[in-house]
Order: sequence, then structure tokens, then C-alpha cells
Amino acid sequence: MKRIVKLILFFMAATILHWAAMALLGNWDISLNLMLIFAIAVCAFLPPAYGYPTAFVSGLFLDFFGVQLFGQHAFIFTLCACAVYSLENRLEFDSVVPQMVCAGVLTLLATLGNLILLKVFAGFSAWNGIGSFIGGISCSILIAPAVFWAVRRGLAAKGRTY
Amino acid sequence: MKKDSSANKKKTVTQRSRKILPAVFLLVSVLLILLPLEGPVSSMKAVLSYVFIPQIRAAHGVVEYSKDVNETVQGLLNAHRENEELKNQLREIQLENAQAREVFEENKRLTQALQLKPPLKWKGIWAKTAYREPSQWNSVVVDKGKAEGIELRAAAVVQQDGQPILAGVVIEVSENTSKVLLLRDEDFSAVVYTSQSQDEGLLTGAGAADLKLKYLPLLSTVQEGEQVYTSASSSIFPAGILVGQISSIDRDDDFQSYLTARVKPAAVSGTVQELFLLTRPEGSAK
Repeated sequence: MKRIVKLILFFMAATILHWAAMALLGNWDISLNLMLIFAIAVCAFLPPAYGYPTAFVSGLFLDFFGVQLFGQHAFIFTLCACAVYSLENRLEFDSVVPQMVCAGVLTLLATLGNLILLKVFAGFSAWNGIGSFIGGISCSILIAPAVFWAVRRGLAAKGRTY
Repeated sequence: MKKDSSANKKKTVTQRSRKILPAVFLLVSVLLILLPLEGPVSSMKAVLSYVFIPQIRAAHGVVEYSKDVNETVQGLLNAHRENEELKNQLREIQLENAQAREVFEENKRLTQALQLKPPLKWKGIWAKTAYREPSQWNSVVVDKGKAEGIELRAAAVVQQDGQPILAGVVIEVSENTSKVLLLRDEDFSAVVYTSQSQDEGLLTGAGAADLKLKYLPLLSTVQEGEQVYTSASSSIFPAGILVGQISSIDRDDDFQSYLTARVKPAAVSGTVQELFLLTRPEGSAK
């Protein structure tokens, strides 16, 4: 129960920081997907019973602002959660490099997945340019260790990821 | 044994949630994608707005706050730099003050050794110009009088750039006001000396023209631009108050028995707003 309350608080903090980061980095045409990093970090350190709902709700949070499709981010985030749980035995998420690699690759795939879903279901292209694409991935890679550290410190059980 | 069975149970639940949960969430999200945006999706968005709007408001607050951070940090840095400069200035002033104290003490000792009358300390009171009489533009009435210790013939001084400058003399005193005759008035006179040639003369007002410095010795080496200060020989003014500077010297008259110079006053009569009226120092004769 304590962990659920903590998770809700962390989720709320992540939504605030995501929105603030979007507004601030928007000045440089960079779209940082902090919610995805948060969802990946939760999946890396918490059991699936916490990770999948967090990923789904984080996706819904982003879908809430979309006007073309509803559920695309929830779908992509759930797939990313599947990827993290399938990689957990191969990657050591306590180290910074796997965290950065995982965040970078999944951000790249999620961005491409969103573009494909939008094109298929809404016939709409949401391509914001290569600068925004690379900037977003770079920022995700850079910020991932901090998010992973905060989630591990605040939510993960001591000694073992879960 | 019991421990093992509970651990196995936990493992089974985790494995089950590993398979069921993603399937459920993927199914729900695909359904949400396929559903039209009106109707149930719109209702769901309305419900979610109650959950997410407070966070968005808070995020806006964070962004608004962070907008001013740059200016705040800049202000703090500037304040820090100014603080350092002021600290340095304060250290210099403290040093100068210590040196001045030493000089003062030395002066006191030498005065005692030479058995000279010690210089009187200036004390006084700031007064504001209450009004000017249109018929007498070269005098002002100030808002301090006998009640504040002002006496007749008290020197009136203004301060410019931290330096006291002679402005006039008190010629009338009532209970709460005093009339100050300014330098330019023709009735004004004071004994002064020049800074370099050290010659004494009588300074008088000359209306709109520069002040007249009379009775300078014929062989005086006084030059234009020399500063003029009140002399210790003056019965009214304390010595060493700046009056002005020599603007011209009249040497053309062959039959004159003394030199006359013109002095440009340092105090501007027309803009006098506040005056420091010197009160009689303690220990001085009335």
C-alpha cells in the first residue's frame, strides 16, 4: 500500500516535470518524453504488477492531450514495458550505461511507433523534423540516469530490484 | 516449507501478471485507438481531466517560476559583486578613518605643545528652505530658529560631493525660523584666504556678478583658479570652509593700492534647498 501511494506521488511529480520540460524545451523545438523514461524506470525496478499499469496510465496521460488518436501512447508505453521486462535478465539496470541505452533505444522506437500509428489510424504525419527527433532522444539519454536513480531510490525495494 | 510455498506462490503471481497484464493493457489501448473520439472516449477524457488538470496547473506554475530564475540569479550575482565592492570601499574608509583619527590626535598634541587655541569643532543643524522673498532673492528663510539653538550671525553651509561650502550667514532669527543672507548679496562680507598664495582679503557680494575679493596685497601671486576658503581671522565663520574659486584678477589700474579679484561662488544661490546652520561650539565665547 505504501509503495502504491509512493508510486502515485512519483507519477504526479513526473507529470508535472514532463509538462514543465515540454514547455521549457519547446523554446528549442525539443520534445522530451519524460513520462516514457519514468515508465521504463518503474518497469526496470518494480514488479510487472506495478510496471504495466504505470506504463499504461503514463501513456494515457499523454493521450489525454492528443486530438487525432486516443490510446496510441498507452499502447506504445505498454509495448515498451514488455520490452523492459523481457530485457531485465540481459541488462543490468543498476548501471548508468544500460539505463541510457535502454532509454535511448526505447525513445527512438516509441517515437517511430507513434508516427506509424498516427499515419495508419489517423492518416496524419506528426514529424517535427530531425532536430526535434534527435534532440528529444539525446535529452532522454541524458536525463535517464537521474530518473532511474530517483525511481530506484524512492520506489525500489532494498537489495533487490524487486 | 511454508516459506517455500509462499515464495512459489509469489513467483506464480508475478509470472501470471507478466503475461496477463500486458495483454489486457494492449487490448484496452487498441480498443481505445479504434473507438471513435466522440462518445465513450470523450467521456473518458473528461474523467481524466479531473485527474491530470491539477498537475498541468502545477507544471505551469513551475514554468512561470523558472522564467524569472534567470533574472533572479543575475540579480543575486550583481548584489554579490556590489557587496564585495562595498566591502572593499568600507575597508578603505575604515583605514582612512583610522589615519584621520591619528592625524587628529597628533594635531591635538601639537596644538597643546604650541599652546594654540584648539580648533573648534563644527556642530550644527540641517534646515530646509521655507520660502524666499521675491523682493530679496539673495536671502532665504529656513525652518529652524531659536528653538533649535540657531543664533544670529551663524554660518550657513551647503554640502556638495561631501564637501562643506559656504552659502551665507544668518541675519535674523525668530523662534522657529531664521533668515539667511546668501553670498551674492551686497551686504554679505567675510574674511577669506586663497589656497596657494595664502593671501587674506575681504569677500563681498556683488549681486548677479561674481563675488568681489578686496584688499589683496599688491604683490600677491594669486592666480585664477585658486580656491578661496574662509579664514581663521573671521569672527563669524569657522576657518577652512570652501567659498569658491578665483575667476579673474583686476591688475590694470596703476593707481590702486591693493588688488581686487573676482570669485565664482561654489554654492549656487538659486538652488539652495537645505542648509547646515552652524551652532556655536561648546567652549567658545559668545
